Amino acid sequence: MNGNGFLVRMEGISKRFGTVQALKDVDFDVKRQEVMGLVGDNGAGKSTLIKILTGVYKPDSGRIYFEGREVSFGSPKDARDLGIETVYQDLALIPLMSITRNFFLGRELVRKVGPLNLMEHRKMDEIAAGALREIGVKVRSPDEPVAILSGGERQSVAIGRAMHFGAKLLILDEPTAALSIKESQKVLDFVLEAKERGLSIIFITHNIYHVYSVADRFTILEHGRKVAEFAKGEVSPEEIIEIIRSGVAKVITGRCETCSG
Amino acid sequence: MHFPSSLVLRARKRPEFGVFVGFLIVFTGFTFAAERFLTFDSIAGIITVAAELGIVTAGITFLMIAGEFDLSVGSVLGVSGMIFAITAAAGLPHIVGLLLALVAAAFIGLVNGLLVVRTGVPSFIITLGSMMLWRGVILAVTGGFPVRYWGDSGLLFALNGRFAEQLRMSAFWFLGVVVILAFILTRTRYGNWVFATGGGPQAARTLGIRIDRVKIINFMVSAVLAGLAGCIQFARFHSVDPTRGQGLELEAIAAAVIGGALMTGGYGSMIGAMLGALLVGMVRSGLVMAGAPSYWYQAFIGIVLIVASVVNIKLRRWALG
Repeated sequence: MNGNGFLVRMEGISKRFGTVQALKDVDFDVKRQEVMGLVGDNGAGKSTLIKILTGVYKPDSGRIYFEGREVSFGSPKDARDLGIETVYQDLALIPLMSITRNFFLGRELVRKVGPLNLMEHRKMDEIAAGALREIGVKVRSPDEPVAILSGGERQSVAIGRAMHFGAKLLILDEPTAALSIKESQKVLDFVLEAKERGLSIIFITHNIYHVYSVADRFTILEHGRKVAEFAKGEVSPEEIIEIIRSGVAKVITGRCETCSG
Repeated sequence: MHFPSSLVLRARKRPEFGVFVGFLIVFTGFTFAAERFLTFDSIAGIITVAAELGIVTAGITFLMIAGEFDLSVGSVLGVSGMIFAITAAAGLPHIVGLLLALVAAAFIGLVNGLLVVRTGVPSFIITLGSMMLWRGVILAVTGGFPVRYWGDSGLLFALNGRFAEQLRMSAFWFLGVVVILAFILTRTRYGNWVFATGGGPQAARTLGIRIDRVKIINFMVSAVLAGLAGCIQFARFHSVDPTRGQGLELEAIAAAVIGGALMTGGYGSMIGAMLGALLVGMVRSGLVMAGAPSYWYQAFIGIVLIVASVVNIKLRRWALG
């Protein structure tokens, strides 16, 4: 049940919204220090699965194990407290606020003075600038508003924030969708660096070529079911695309979940 | 000509930069146009008007930064002033009357906030209803007659007593409110949440900020400050008539916007709110002193509001690239 190599195991996850069966009996796992590519077409259930893992939704049935222990999330905060950090597609950054204020939003460093929680501005500036420098992001000053940053820089700030807050599992939701080729390459470098540091990563995307270059394994969802799961060596990017297009995994060899023979 | 000074570069990024420049221009204009403008009496008069308006403006700005809006502050000012006046006239200790007045204001703010947050109806509509409701209650309770009270007390003096001939205590309340709210916004964790709630509610929620709670608290702050302004005004006039505060909501919102607060939330400052209120107060006195009929006051404020909004938008684009 709690295999040692696994950071996360989700078993038999089902979720229904009204008449729509968003997920049906999905098993999903991520090993320690592994990059898992979660792929599938629009509406395949990728986002729903991740929102269950991050405490946004409660599953109708199924179990979640994190570091071998069964967990149940009442809110996104519960998941975050365990070290599950998500970089959402919208990045969850607030343009009119400074980089530092964004970096620490909801987790401000404070000094208690009577009933007041005073923010330690200088300390937070230093930490934010340091954390971004460490992952190779240059910002002129951490009190610049996020509004003046480019798309790639914003992405970097969001990823830097997630990495800084001690994520064990980093979830990237379509991180390259809005980026230039150069910026995308940088994100892929971040992923490898995060792995190097011992994190596990779930990389959700449409762009099979992006995920293929960094992922160790792939899980393919289709209409709320898992259709296949492969290690990188077992499948080519073209074959993954073919599976997503056709919705069946028969076309190739390898571990196939839905076909019996 | 280049302005290489980094001070100017830094200053233009502040929300109150526009109103600061506007303030200087209008101030200079009146200094030349109105003979007695630059006298102690005249300045004291401006501060007295601006202080009462400014306390309300500060509260509205605090709420606008959280992305909401309050049209009911004028009625709340009336309700609180009326409660204070009626309880004083009935012989209750003034401190009790003041507390009752502020509790009533907090209650109205709480109801406004709960309705906005729970129903999702825009605050413009909810507080428009609230504004009419409470104004109606005042009119019904008083039968349309003013309430007077000629007594005196240390508390009434502390609220708005006169000192140094023309100055009033309200100036200190105004300054205190601005300093405290500015401190909360810039230095405390809660201030960070206020900016986030207005600037990106979705992102704030994702990061675990309880934005509904922030909004409700700010609705209450806005209402309590309007109530405080009502009590301060009562301490000045020793009477409250049932239309007290009518139209003040629009003046306060105008002052907040002139001060650089964004109607869409997430942006604004207390220094801006203070300058906005002072600018409105200055226009009111200055026009009279310059010999313009007082009817022109509204028209002039309207022009200032429009010019300020346009300039503020341009400045923000310039600063944020």
